[in-house]
Amino acid sequence: MLEQVAFFVVAVVMLLAAFRVVTATNLVHTVLWLGVTLGGTAVAFILLEAHFLAAIQIILYTGGVLTLMLFGVMLTQRQQGVTTVGNPSHHLPAGFVLAAAVFAMLAGAIFRTPLPNAVAQGSNTRALGVAFLTEHVLAFEALSLLLLGAVLGAIVIARRRDAGDESEIAGPAIPARRKLEIGGSR
Amino acid sequence: MGLIGYLLLAAGLFSLGVFGLVTRKNAVGVMVAVELMANAVNLNLVAFSRFHGGNTGQVFALFSIAITVAEVVVGLALVILLFRARGDVTLDLASELKE
Amino acid sequence: MMENPWISGLVYSAVLVTVLMTAIAWISWFERKVAGRMQSRLGPTLVGPFGLFQPLADALKALQKEGIVPKDADPFLYRFAPPLTMALALGTAAVIPFTPHFLGSDLDIGVLYALALSGMMAFPIWIASWASNNKYALIGGMRMVAQGISYEIPMVLAALVPVVLSGSLSLGDIVEYQHVNGWFVLWPPGVGLGAFMLFFTTALAEGNRIPFDIPEAESELVAGPTTEYTAINWTIFAASEYGHSVITSALASTLFLGGWSGPWLPPLAWMVIKTSVLFVTITWIRWSLLRLRSDQLMALCWKYLVPFALMLLLVAGIWTHVRP
Repeated sequence: MLEQVAFFVVAVVMLLAAFRVVTATNLVHTVLWLGVTLGGTAVAFILLEAHFLAAIQIILYTGGVLTLMLFGVMLTQRQQGVTTVGNPSHHLPAGFVLAAAVFAMLAGAIFRTPLPNAVAQGSNTRALGVAFLTEHVLAFEALSLLLLGAVLGAIVIARRRDAGDESEIAGPAIPARRKLEIGGSR
Repeated sequence: MGLIGYLLLAAGLFSLGVFGLVTRKNAVGVMVAVELMANAVNLNLVAFSRFHGGNTGQVFALFSIAITVAEVVVGLALVILLFRARGDVTLDLASELKE
Repeated sequence: MMENPWISGLVYSAVLVTVLMTAIAWISWFERKVAGRMQSRLGPTLVGPFGLFQPLADALKALQKEGIVPKDADPFLYRFAPPLTMALALGTAAVIPFTPHFLGSDLDIGVLYALALSGMMAFPIWIASWASNNKYALIGGMRMVAQGISYEIPMVLAALVPVVLSGSLSLGDIVEYQHVNGWFVLWPPGVGLGAFMLFFTTALAEGNRIPFDIPEAESELVAGPTTEYTAINWTIFAASEYGHSVITSALASTLFLGGWSGPWLPPLAWMVIKTSVLFVTITWIRWSLLRLRSDQLMALCWKYLVPFALMLLLVAGIWTHVRP
């Protein structure tokens, strides 16, 4: 009973936050509402007896990905200090139709499949760790290579190559001033 | 509520993500919508893991989280490069064709 | 009655929050006294004996100050950031075992929970800096986020050393292990001490204490991310920063110094002594060392602390296999 109430609250909060994610005009608000959605997912993971995954969700997503998104927003402002360029007013009808179609397709599939209903077994972090290192060890090692590749790739891609620029590691997020017309390329 | 509740929630989040993906003009906004979709997938995986027994779903969800993080890292690096090249990350589909 | 998890949970939370908030208030007195003595002056002496009622005077002063909200500040986020910071700082206390029986919640992922919440603290302060609509605040906020996420990595790696050595993510189990096998800072030799010092250093960096307080550098950025906060809002931020320092001292003493275990004093006394020693050290460092520059800070983290942390983790892993 309590779990049902908790699930209902979490679901409402998440759907509301996701709605605000896709409709907010200010980009920083978008990212912050995404943070709420991701936090809601962590709570849902706890309700689903996946405690380790909930902690990882908080550490990686709200502590990492959200920060990345915020830096991304700050570093790509067209006009200094103005982050209200995120208005989603581009192909709105197509968006509605597509989203409704995707939801109808998924819901149809969900209602037609016979779904399992096992009893809760409690959270077992130790079993998860063992599974990583025995059954899925190849994927685990491949994942570490992928993360290494991603980090190195991002550094190489986003590095400045102009002379005279010192490293931009902790400075404020003020983009380089370039006089280019919008839409034109170099 | 059972498994159906979680699956419908995940489907709802996924379709909202699709809406955001199609509608957003700003590149970072599009990445946020993709994040939302990946999150819905993880929720789906963990829900199945709970109601089916075993922890394969949780293992895959953990892999999915790590892969999504890697994708966001590279994606944002590309967005920053795009910004440096054009001064603006608005994704106007028709602008390139006009020239 | 205490078996009912709702009632025991409420009682624990009420006791913990009350004790912590009172401790935080008196820590400001303590810091001012220590600062004064280290600078050959007395610190607060007027209000009450030895100035002990100074925090009450500060609270009354803060409550009656005018609360100024900047004109174009984001209305919801500006007000929402201080309580969120405080909630995150206090939430970590739920998993710390203060005595063998008084443990709010012995989560099987206690270490991760504590690290997640303390790693998230950079975030509401960033929200505060952005919502203030002030470029100096935003610069402070971006520096704080960069510092926070960079130093979180060696902090998590250093906190993983006791996890690897004791085989459990639960803080209650880690303390039980140290109760039986000796404190981690003493045994295994070298690894425990190195990990403790690394954790302590990164905890200083996460809490923006000197020598890592470039985000709130008074000589450069007015007050950093919280520049535009007045009166009671600023007090909440300051209190949450002290709260974060206290909680990370308690966490460090749980992970490395053995928590409540010790020879003949009662467990709670040991816990209080260890946390106080660490907190005194934090204050002592604050009033003795110079501040690191942004690039020195980042270079320290990425070029020295991260390889050191990885090496410690490797040695700890090897130790668990070959231990006598």
